[in-house]
Amino acid sequence: MKRIALAAMLGLMAFASAVQADTVVKYLNIATIPGEIELMKKAVATYEAAHPGVKIELPSLENEAFKAKLTTLLQSPDAPDVFHSWGGGVFYEQAKAGVLRPIEGVLSQQAKDDEGQAGLAAFTAPDGHVYGIARDVAEVVLWYNKKLFAQAGLDPASMKTWDGFLEGVKKLQAAGITPLALGGKDKWPAHFWWAKLAVRLAGKDEFNAAAAGQGDGFSGPDFVKAGDTFLSLAALHPFQEGFQAATYGDASGYFGDGKAAMHLMGDWDYGAMKDNSATKQGIPDADLGILPFPTVDGGKGDPTDTLGGLSGYLFSKNASDEAVKFMEWYNSSEVQKDFAAAAYYIPITKGSADAMTNPFKVQVAKDINGAHWHALFFDQALGPAVGGVVNDVSAELADNQISAKDAADQIKQAVDDGK
Amino acid sequence: MASTVSTLSDSPSVPRKRRYMDRRSLIPLLVFLPPSLILFVTFVALPMVDAASFSFFDWTGYGPMTDFVGFKNYQDVIFHRNFGTAVRNSLIVVAVSMLIQLPLAMWAALALAGTAKLTNAIRTLFFLPYMLAEVAAGLIWKFVYDGNYGLVPIIGDTIHVKMPFLLADKFWVIPAIMLVIVWKYFGFHMMIYIAGLQSIPNEVIEAARLDGVKKWQVIRHIKLPMIWPSIVVSVFFSITGALQLFDVIIPLSNGGPNAASHTIVSFLYAFGILRMKLGFGGAVSVLLFIACVIVAVVYRRLLFTAEKD
Repeated sequence: MKRIALAAMLGLMAFASAVQADTVVKYLNIATIPGEIELMKKAVATYEAAHPGVKIELPSLENEAFKAKLTTLLQSPDAPDVFHSWGGGVFYEQAKAGVLRPIEGVLSQQAKDDEGQAGLAAFTAPDGHVYGIARDVAEVVLWYNKKLFAQAGLDPASMKTWDGFLEGVKKLQAAGITPLALGGKDKWPAHFWWAKLAVRLAGKDEFNAAAAGQGDGFSGPDFVKAGDTFLSLAALHPFQEGFQAATYGDASGYFGDGKAAMHLMGDWDYGAMKDNSATKQGIPDADLGILPFPTVDGGKGDPTDTLGGLSGYLFSKNASDEAVKFMEWYNSSEVQKDFAAAAYYIPITKGSADAMTNPFKVQVAKDINGAHWHALFFDQALGPAVGGVVNDVSAELADNQISAKDAADQIKQAVDDGK
Repeated sequence: MASTVSTLSDSPSVPRKRRYMDRRSLIPLLVFLPPSLILFVTFVALPMVDAASFSFFDWTGYGPMTDFVGFKNYQDVIFHRNFGTAVRNSLIVVAVSMLIQLPLAMWAALALAGTAKLTNAIRTLFFLPYMLAEVAAGLIWKFVYDGNYGLVPIIGDTIHVKMPFLLADKFWVIPAIMLVIVWKYFGFHMMIYIAGLQSIPNEVIEAARLDGVKKWQVIRHIKLPMIWPSIVVSVFFSITGALQLFDVIIPLSNGGPNAASHTIVSFLYAFGILRMKLGFGGAVSVLLFIACVIVAVVYRRLLFTAEKD
């Protein structure tokens, strides 16, 4: 009974607020950190004060809940006007199904210049229409704990090549230190290893050809070699005990607690590692470092290639012009520099990253800017069906449960199925 | 459910048919049937038909279904490299429910069917896990089993045994999950049996005792036969529940490590819904539905013959 009353009240409140304002823009986001949500609300208040008659709503959903609800939500009358997107395969499906609004007619030149060519390309669907605006970039980096390296007498410079890296892993183990943290239960953290190796070994052109299902595709020798290289690491049992059942959060905390020497993870782990650690302090900045991902002999990828994300906002079918206008303003450096300064993410908008003081984020931004190819997370770039298989086989490779050839064939088959 | 069927079969069917024609019982029928019928049709029958229609299309969940693929989804499901494991696991759940959970529930019921305060308290205690939300139960046990911070390594330390990371091990994960299932659901079946046991008239048992019948014989020849309908219901719930097991698995192991602990339904969710392959998911659900119908039909058949004998 209480619950019904509450629901009725909420419904009434929603109705009342809809009546008051002329235009409501609903921006469904995935922010969960209280400080970040505060900043968003502050920006919205500024905009609403300057634009009477426009009301901005900011519903937030946690990552997994967001993914699970979005498909149904977008096809219902309750669809948000604007929502978070990681781009790639899922975005293409949404564009194909006609649940998005093309915005190239409304989007100002200023906004296009702000996000740059890479941003614009990321939110242009294969049909040639622009459906969104890019917000931020992220990179997967090899975080390491300087204190544990010193304890094992390990010189980070010795780990520039894959062979040197494997030697380093053994040296850490000899010193009784767990070399790597991995959240194997979630699977996508394992896919970072395989994807990083594939970026190194196969490079941009081969990846794009394989994703399009050309030739040998993912069964090609370079992708098999990526698997074999990963297996050469897995054979050393470098991950924390029980990593198969550890979530990303568990692994992040394990690294943050100083129990593992390295963690291959996105730049966002800088904050998450603190949040997930037992003390909430994580590794102090002085003891934290980023290792360049080791190079592999005979790799076709460019040494500057990065792997990571490029996410942003998409506009649903019924989004108003006001929604686009608001997001343009929201994504301008005027607003985004606050998010950069607080190191919640690395805004793509020109000029806003200048506000970053965090040395790690600055380095990552520099990496991505200088990259020959900023590869999108494979599980996003390839869409959920193929990406899911990449995650599956990567987790199995980490656990030595599949051969590199079988892993590569599984991915190729998933690509062929989707053709 | 099965017990309703047996009463139907017991009563002569011809006069019953005539009664339906009777105008006086037609009115209550028209008044009372629609609400439940409408609910059933909108929330059970229609979604079922929907899922079945998905299964013949290659569909991501966005837009209209246009890509008709015939039985390809069924073929993909059957030849999927993890489907066999999922079916095996579901059968293990059925077997454990039958061979461990129900006997345990019966034993507890026979011991706790009395009305003393203490037995009442213990009964409630055993029933509590059933009241707990599945996801909460899964999370609690995830912490119990956690190899770093859980209860299991603490127990291991006190008895100086190195405990495995149960949920990370493809062998141990199955027994670990089975323990949670038995713990969670045996209280429910115990309650069904207790309800049955309490309805047995005391005179019958006293009369048997006066005749010098031993305690075990009372159970074997009086109590069990008299609560047979309860057992029939509980076995039926147990099998269909086991085939549809899902919500304990997701928080506990998420089907891992490496798809070793998927059940049919968690397989459907992981490889169908999460991958935006709704046709594939639809095919799994149709196969599961057929399996459940076969179980139900065979089960009723067996019981009919048993009752007639």
